Amino acid sequence: MFGNYLAAALRNLQRNGLYATLTIMGLAVGFASAILIGLYLRHELTYDQFIPGHERVFLMSQTFVPHDKPKIEMDTTSARLAEDLKVAFPQIEYIARLGASGFPPVIRRGDFSISERLFASADPDFFKVMPMPAVAGDPASALDAPDSVVLTRTVARKFFGRDAPLGGVLLIDGQPFRVTAVIEDLPTNSHLDYEVFASSKAASSVLWKLYGAGYTSNSNLTYLRLKRGASAAEMNTGLQGFAEQHILPALRAINPDQKLDGFRMRLKPLTSIHLQPADGGDPKNGADIKVLAGIGIIGVLIVIVAAINFVTLMTARASRRAVEVGVRKALGAQRKDLIVQFMGEAMIYVAVALVLAVALAELLLPAVSAALQRKIAFNYLSDPQLLLVMLGVTLATALLAGLYPALVLSSFRPSSVLKGGPIAGAGGGGVRQALVVAQFAVLIALLLGALTIYRQTMFALRDATHINKNDVVMLFASPCTDSLRNAVKAVPGVRSAACASAAAVALGENDDMSFVGDRHALLEYSPVDFGFFEVYGIKPIAGRLPDAARPGDDGGKLGDTPPPILLNEAGVRELGFKSPQDAIGRLVTWHYKPSLSMDALATTVAAPARASEVIGVVPDFTFGSIRQKVRGGFYYVGAKNDMLSSVALNVRLDPLRSADTLRRIDTVWAKISGGLPLQQYFTDQFLLFRYIDNVIQGGFIAACALIAVSIACLGLFALSAYTAERRTKEIGIRKAMGATSSDILRLLLWQFAKPVLWANLLALPVAWLAMDSWLKGFAYHVELAPWTFAAAAGAGVVIAWGTVFVHALRVARARPVGALRYE
Amino acid sequence: MLKLTNVSKIYRAAEVETLALNDISMEVRGGEFVAIMGPSGCGKSTLLNVLGLLDTPTSGGFEFFGQEVSGRSERELTALRCERIGFVFQSFNLIDDLTVAENVEVALLYRKVPAGERRRRVAEALANVGMGHRAKHRPQQLSGGQQQRVAVARALVSNPSLILADEPTGNLDTINGEAVMGMLTDAALSGVTVVMVTHSLAHAAAAQRTIKLLDGRVVSETLLAA
Repeated sequence: MFGNYLAAALRNLQRNGLYATLTIMGLAVGFASAILIGLYLRHELTYDQFIPGHERVFLMSQTFVPHDKPKIEMDTTSARLAEDLKVAFPQIEYIARLGASGFPPVIRRGDFSISERLFASADPDFFKVMPMPAVAGDPASALDAPDSVVLTRTVARKFFGRDAPLGGVLLIDGQPFRVTAVIEDLPTNSHLDYEVFASSKAASSVLWKLYGAGYTSNSNLTYLRLKRGASAAEMNTGLQGFAEQHILPALRAINPDQKLDGFRMRLKPLTSIHLQPADGGDPKNGADIKVLAGIGIIGVLIVIVAAINFVTLMTARASRRAVEVGVRKALGAQRKDLIVQFMGEAMIYVAVALVLAVALAELLLPAVSAALQRKIAFNYLSDPQLLLVMLGVTLATALLAGLYPALVLSSFRPSSVLKGGPIAGAGGGGVRQALVVAQFAVLIALLLGALTIYRQTMFALRDATHINKNDVVMLFASPCTDSLRNAVKAVPGVRSAACASAAAVALGENDDMSFVGDRHALLEYSPVDFGFFEVYGIKPIAGRLPDAARPGDDGGKLGDTPPPILLNEAGVRELGFKSPQDAIGRLVTWHYKPSLSMDALATTVAAPARASEVIGVVPDFTFGSIRQKVRGGFYYVGAKNDMLSSVALNVRLDPLRSADTLRRIDTVWAKISGGLPLQQYFTDQFLLFRYIDNVIQGGFIAACALIAVSIACLGLFALSAYTAERRTKEIGIRKAMGATSSDILRLLLWQFAKPVLWANLLALPVAWLAMDSWLKGFAYHVELAPWTFAAAAGAGVVIAWGTVFVHALRVARARPVGALRYE
Repeated sequence: MLKLTNVSKIYRAAEVETLALNDISMEVRGGEFVAIMGPSGCGKSTLLNVLGLLDTPTSGGFEFFGQEVSGRSERELTALRCERIGFVFQSFNLIDDLTVAENVEVALLYRKVPAGERRRRVAEALANVGMGHRAKHRPQQLSGGQQQRVAVARALVSNPSLILADEPTGNLDTINGEAVMGMLTDAALSGVTVVMVTHSLAHAAAAQRTIKLLDGRVVSETLLAA
């Protein structure tokens, strides 16, 4: 019996080559997309699960609730914390800190040196908290000696040309370190992206300096592994008392003006660091679970669109199988026999599609991985879970998509179809129309989503930061000094140049509880250089910019006297000034540290409160992400003695000569730096990093939209071919009655435009809500523009027409006599 | 063995009611060859569909091989059809996607005949209608006459007790028509009951009895042979 079914199915598939190919291609593309989306989501949702016993590993996280302000969640903690926690909580098995200084050290072996953000200082127990697969040596004990360093396989190869250079020596900022272990490269779904782990016992470790700052600096990560059976909830409760005893007194001591409404510490599970990003915890961009959910929904929608194709094509062509159904029924087939037969056929289609999809996914994975900047594996044969999900989805699709056509086909009445009479049930036109509407609704919604994400990303990259970053390069130096600036400024083709602190370009943060009278505000302060605002085209809203001709503006030359400041607009509001103009000439009291440096961090002595005059107000600009509102803050010209106070040289180039100018700057750098590697970025690329996840998402959703569009078009194309064929006689009669070709064309195009118009009604409100919620995740965002809705709706109609036009035209132009002879 | 008692069949469209069969009572005995004649639209095909359990009467009683079937479920009717009836249609109704042999085999599939026996009986049935050499061909590769022979083979292969033929010669030339009639006559002679709708007086003459319908009523019955 099944042989007979199979023969019927395969020959039917063969006879309807075009339709079958379109149906299967649609499904295959849909499945392939779903597989790739699924792999991406799995990658995102399984961060850090490669760490053995990850259920017991946590990152310390803390939340500040400043008075009258939104709370600040931080995943960075103080360097003191680990030691005190270990004493206070016996349930901790291991605890270890990981610290990376704001500016990467130079790592050198022989002539080869790099300075990239892949270096971290780690406590000896770090690899006990987070065991990682070793290539050579024992990572668990590898960081015990002060001069020890653990490398990843890639870095080991980069420096030593081999995998296990145990005992090999690297110079890190001039200090020798011995390689004591090599670990496998971290998978891309790890929140860590460090590749060189040096022992924190080294005298040069940033953790020593941070340790000196006690609880007043929160700059490193603290990880811990609980003992087996210990409860994280219990420890979370205990942390409140710990904070009262250790942390809050220290915070009050360093800054008596600090006003905190609340302070909370908690254990953040290792595997949720990526999905619950807070300040500082995830060296990479965290993931937004809502966006991931959105991408998952899109994956499901694509499969649905492909399944709908299947349903519409199978039912549309049902009449061709009517005789077969009639005969089988007349000869004794029960309805269930036929349902089994047609469901089986669906299974064949879907299975063929799955095989193609797997091949397609394998083919595309390298490109997709590269675009997503992730290493995603697709080992379906050695991964039973994956295999099961794939087969499950396939089976479910076959059952759901096969059921309706099977019900329609098996419902034909033999007495009618065998006489060539009208086919009851074959109409199913209503359902088919509804499915086409659903398909186009998905398509229009995706188009609108892609368009909105594109607009927001462009806005973020171009306008929202309020800085003119075209033709500006950032050159990193530790520190950026006047002499470097002047040397670069003298290069022909350089229009202007100015240093900036890490905080000014959003690479670090300095907070101060400043006040005017009794109005307090937690403000960010950022030392800058003369000319910094000019380089980025930032004009004062009120007052003036710092002027090198006025000695009183230069904090570097004023000793302990705080220099005048420039507030941003948010700072003006937070300090309660009525207007930018109102702030000019007023005094703001804060805790000025004349020497802002890593060494000065290591002091727990509070800086005295002193007043600075407000000389200007600048707009709220940011080098950071516009997901957050620009915080209130102020700028001043300070000393350039350390990377904290001066780290980036911002250089505006003459766009016509930039290539040449950059070469000359290289030469200047080589002379001044004494051979240190040059880190240099165009500012717009530097900012792109903040939005790379957006750009990726936008591209991803656009690609998905494109796929959904193609699949829906395949379906519509086949459906229109079928409709045109089926209506040949009707059209022949109309033409015989005097209709012109254009009348017929209009008739057919209108018929196909109708479902698209209905789809708009469905899609636009849903897309509106979804995109509105997505945009609300940005402090600064574009508004949903009516024209984008019109464009998406119009595109839907145009796509539908474009797809059906050829068929419609062919039928419309056919001679009626041929059409009437058709039957 | 087929007994209709006051059977009516009404088709209801949106605003029109068509009385296809109007209070028909008739009987067909086992092994009888009956021809049904009448102008287009007189209800011949409806009558055949009712007899073949493909359609149910709106009112009246129908005794099928001794069982009253009015009010039976679709499932039961299908089972009866499966057990008893072979069909031959004017437009052959072979399944395009199956070969000649597979088309004939379909009649045995739903009767749960084992595969080996199916092959044997299909070969035999095709040989009986002179189509054995065409077993692997598709219907489109055959002439109309050949297709109808295959359809007859399909009707006979399941050894039915009743063959219902709806204008089996309507689409055939004279020679092929004669051949098909010969096969049906042979079947009747071997004890199978045959009910055939036809427009052809010559072919009706092959039957033992001719029933004439007009506007859904039996208007005459002619007994041609004993």
